[in-house]
Amino acid sequence: MKILYIDTTTSYLYGALYEENKVIESVTIKLGKDLSVFTLQKIKEMFEKANLELDHIDKIIVVNGPGSFTGIRIGVTIAKVYAYSLKKKITTISSLQAMALSTKKDVEYRIPIIDARRGYVYAAIYDKDNVPILKEQYLSLQALLCAIENLPGEYTVITNDEIEIENKEDYFPNYEIIIHTMKEKEEINPHAVNPIYLKLTEAEEKQGVANND
Amino acid sequence: MKDVYIFGIESSCDETSCSIVKNGKEEIATIISSQIDVHKNFGGVVPEIASRHHVKNITMVIEECLWKAQMTMDDMDAIAVTYGPGLIGSLLVGLEAAKTLAWIHKKPLIPVHHISGHIYANNLVEEMKFPLIALIISGGHTELVYMKNHYSFEKLGGTLDDAVGECYDKVARVIEVPYPGGPTLDRWSTEGNDTYDLPIPLNDNSYNFSFSGLKSAVINLVHNEEQRGNEIRKKDLATSFQNRVIESLTKKTMKALEDKNVKNFIIAGGVAANQSIRERFRELCEEKNIHYTVPELKYCTDNAAMIATSGFFAYQSGRIADLTLNSKSSDILN
Repeated sequence: MKILYIDTTTSYLYGALYEENKVIESVTIKLGKDLSVFTLQKIKEMFEKANLELDHIDKIIVVNGPGSFTGIRIGVTIAKVYAYSLKKKITTISSLQAMALSTKKDVEYRIPIIDARRGYVYAAIYDKDNVPILKEQYLSLQALLCAIENLPGEYTVITNDEIEIENKEDYFPNYEIIIHTMKEKEEINPHAVNPIYLKLTEAEEKQGVANND
Repeated sequence: MKDVYIFGIESSCDETSCSIVKNGKEEIATIISSQIDVHKNFGGVVPEIASRHHVKNITMVIEECLWKAQMTMDDMDAIAVTYGPGLIGSLLVGLEAAKTLAWIHKKPLIPVHHISGHIYANNLVEEMKFPLIALIISGGHTELVYMKNHYSFEKLGGTLDDAVGECYDKVARVIEVPYPGGPTLDRWSTEGNDTYDLPIPLNDNSYNFSFSGLKSAVINLVHNEEQRGNEIRKKDLATSFQNRVIESLTKKTMKALEDKNVKNFIIAGGVAANQSIRERFRELCEEKNIHYTVPELKYCTDNAAMIATSGFFAYQSGRIADLTLNSKSSDILN
């Protein structure tokens, strides 16, 4: 099975091509504000390096959030248009789960964190078998720290953001483990592949507050 | 000559749209997924919400368009897309979709300026005659453009502050007309009388426009009348307001046509759907013996048919982009 993996939910492009149980080519590059400019070009180059035809892909795994709203949409749009137009299978994985799967440490709990600014984060807590102890959510860093305090075992925090917290390790995707874990995940109709933002827009939040008054 | 089919994508604001146009003049199929009901609740377009709807809808709109035309991507000669100006997050969804389609189907990617799209909506009515002057009036733009030939754009003037459509929206809000207020103000203006004293905006010899002064005048007038306990005669105010807008638009436009000695005039953009504005220009052009074209109502607001049409002429003039094409929230038409 040949798989294309795409993650643009942060300022990095993480892409990989996977064939017969191993990663044959990958791209890991910090693009920041240029994510929309270079993502597709870099993916194209990855295919060329791997000498793989676009039509030979069997399945696409796309990371659909949480993270940067604009970033999420770039990867999701590319993936769903590709899957729809070339009739490929497609499935999604959360950015937090991909981070948890990529840990280099062998400890009881894995805590991926993405900075959501203003004292808030996107985070989750998984155990060793990837079962969520705290399901992925948008919460204050304070609330997350409280949850961490009550953990009965050792933990590791996986993040690329500057967050004041102990037991940190940098996130570098372990493409092989991520794809291997997700490759049998049920496919989704490309039209139904959508971002998971975990956060309402400000306009909706304000209206929500107004409605509650 | 072999027929050329362009697949167009437009997502610069709150409409997700795809269209197939043949030879830059014949619309084969167009799908427009409008979010107007979503944004109505917020009194205007919310950029992040618009982007979220675009990504949700994009593949369904592409599929419906191909289905309606009974064609496939293999039948297309090129993919045209609005790269700007517009809401950056919204533009990005259409742009990434177009880039992906161009890449996977090995088709040329054609960057289209949104305003050129509005102008070229006229080519779906009849083949444009040159030289011409185009007046683009919408929620985001008010521009006078001189075109010597296809894909030659010379901006003569534009708004110094608010776009004309923006001014309509704000005036509509002040006198409590539901969003979008433009069409209602237009209807009311035909039922009221021009009784309110409002200034003609930027009444000078330039080709520029200014609508913030007129907007402020309306706001102040409403405020003062309320202070005095006088009821606002909304239909009369709509008439007075719209008459000043028309006066400003027609004066500058007719001057440009005369100065440049141009005999072809086209009007474009969302506000070109305004019946009173369409009619007033028709009368003036008849009087001055100027050939006048205005798009069908459905092509005045944002749509991909105009992008595919403009894309055809961009393609003819060799404008092809690579996969690093970026969206631009503002960009000069050239």
